[in-house]
Amino acid sequence: MNKTLTALALGLAVTAVHAEELVNPLTPDAEHIAEGKKLYNRTGCMACHGNNARGAVGPDLTDDVWLRQPTDQMIFNTIRNGRSGTVMSGFAGDLTDTQIWQIITWLKDENRKRKEAGK
Amino acid sequence: MKAVNESRRRAPGLALAGAVAAVLLSPGITLADPVHTPVTDDMLVNAAREADNWIMPGRDYAGTRYSPLAKINTKNVKRMVPVYAFSFGVQDAQNTTPLVVDGVMYVTSSHGKIFAVEAATGRQLWAFSHPLPENIGKMMCCDVGNRGAAVYGDKVFYVTPDAHVIALNRETGEKVWDVVVGDYTKAQTMTVAPLVVKGKVVVGMSGAEYPTRLWIDALDAETGAQVWRRYTIPGPGEPGFDTWGDTDPEIWKYGGGSAWITGSYDPKLDTLYWSTGNPNPDWDGEGRKGDNLYTNSTLALNPDTGEIKFHYQYTPWDVWDFDGVNETILANIDGKRVWLHGDRNGFLYKIDRTDGSFVWAKEISVVNWATGFTPEGRPIIDESKVPTYEHKAMNVCPASEGGKWWNPMSYDPVKKIVVVPSREICVDILAGKSERVEGKYNLGIAEADWIKGHGQLVAFDAASGEKKWTVQAPSPYTGGVLTTGGGLSFVGTPEGDFKAYDTNTGEELWSFQTGSGIVGSPIAFAVDGKQYIAVPSGWGGWTGWATWGGKGGSPHLKDNRKGGMLFVFSLFDGKK
Repeated sequence: MNKTLTALALGLAVTAVHAEELVNPLTPDAEHIAEGKKLYNRTGCMACHGNNARGAVGPDLTDDVWLRQPTDQMIFNTIRNGRSGTVMSGFAGDLTDTQIWQIITWLKDENRKRKEAGK
Repeated sequence: MKAVNESRRRAPGLALAGAVAAVLLSPGITLADPVHTPVTDDMLVNAAREADNWIMPGRDYAGTRYSPLAKINTKNVKRMVPVYAFSFGVQDAQNTTPLVVDGVMYVTSSHGKIFAVEAATGRQLWAFSHPLPENIGKMMCCDVGNRGAAVYGDKVFYVTPDAHVIALNRETGEKVWDVVVGDYTKAQTMTVAPLVVKGKVVVGMSGAEYPTRLWIDALDAETGAQVWRRYTIPGPGEPGFDTWGDTDPEIWKYGGGSAWITGSYDPKLDTLYWSTGNPNPDWDGEGRKGDNLYTNSTLALNPDTGEIKFHYQYTPWDVWDFDGVNETILANIDGKRVWLHGDRNGFLYKIDRTDGSFVWAKEISVVNWATGFTPEGRPIIDESKVPTYEHKAMNVCPASEGGKWWNPMSYDPVKKIVVVPSREICVDILAGKSERVEGKYNLGIAEADWIKGHGQLVAFDAASGEKKWTVQAPSPYTGGVLTTGGGLSFVGTPEGDFKAYDTNTGEELWSFQTGSGIVGSPIAFAVDGKQYIAVPSGWGGWTGWATWGGKGGSPHLKDNRKGGMLFVFSLFDGKK
């Protein structure tokens, strides 16, 4: 009986951890957006994703159609850790977590601008 | 290595006996195992005469990419159909040129893989995969591709993105040796198809979009031991060291000079011709005011020592990323021993290969960064087309992909026609100061807007340099060209169409949709008297030219689909 309760408690705890998805902790203000764009260019993202992240050999990062409508956590993990078996490397060694969120802030702002412009 | 022509003559007999035995034994038994004839120096020197085979990346030491096979020709190519498709199991840039030796194909793919395939049937004989580090993608400007393998003796050689050169047993695919020649964390990477010359495996490095000092290596084919290394940028005290200006004393350690396209070899002159790429930073010339030797040059090298005999430089003080790295096709024309070179800077060159002297240069595409040449072949620059930190150079033609990009042209030595895959796309450029950090991009670019253009396939009379015909297309031709004794020129497009044209007229005679953009090169080969054509398909590579800027050079190629297949074709003969 005790073992069953312990297992149940552990399972609930694990579920609780997985339920806490990462979300962008930054507010989308002009400073973070500008820094995110600068980091995008400085890190070399534009070589594969195009200038203004509109896509080149790598996908457009500013539209809704970017592989199953990713969550903030999925985007963060992809930039931080890369995607095994693809050309996408991880940038954990080049960017701090905050810098990664700044890039995401800029990408989301580009997405917003496109929607407002009807593109 | 001793010539083993005797075993070559025996080999067809052995193969026939094996095939007969297989038929007699049981209807269920498949084809006999292939015979792996050792590839000798003699075979390499005479590769042009190996009609059924394709035993080095450019087909022969001259790099012609011409096959004498003529069973598939202008009259019957409309009957050509796919025989099989072989999946590499990976996507991204399929930049390869397959090899075929006595019915066995050796083909590399993206992501560090190589396969041996029964060339007539597509049956895999073995596969080898070099595990790549997780962060390799960001250490390469232009995808995780590979341009092909080399064969010599009983081995096949290829390079990996993270700067390994690997020798495998041709029969089993087992590793024989594996040497690391560069540090990929400093962006010293590799995509080149090696060239074997006099028992040495010659390879060149990639990485000139990063602050690097790059080189050409020759490795002993038996052991992988380095025989010589030729840095493409001279060190202190070496000839050419003083061509890098005096504002940055460290520039020679970081000036680029990649060498990622397979060179050519003239056995009679005993000279290896290997070309070099752009200086770094690509578009910012402020800190390197001088000719920047030996970037954007063809080096004529002693193959035993790597010593530079002479050179010709296509674009001194390059601020347009006009990699001079493209192939040199050796030709004997009108009694002159020359090389032909289609450069990124927009010109098709004919250079005397005995001493590097300039013969002529003809525009492949519209060129406006240079207005002509001195008698010695030095370009005369239009200063308005030079980007600086203050001056945005507008409508610079061609953009950095040329003219002619890296994908190879082909020379038909019978017709003396060279067929060049090309484009008409220009660019606006503003240079910018970027921070130099080892292992990080250092392009020197503030703004770059590619202007929408189109593609073209251009055929030149190699004697006179006159254009014979031009085929225009919506997109640049991004595949390499194959010319054949059947009078055909084969090339692939970003839309995935693999096309055959009449080499005499440019008339399109056949097309097949491969499902993904073609950025590799086709070959022709024969097995048991039947001719085949093979081409890899799978989009990738540097494609900023398509989409950067207001519209980009070919905006319709955004979201172009990736793939990873090899297609093999032959004439339909009514049988399964």
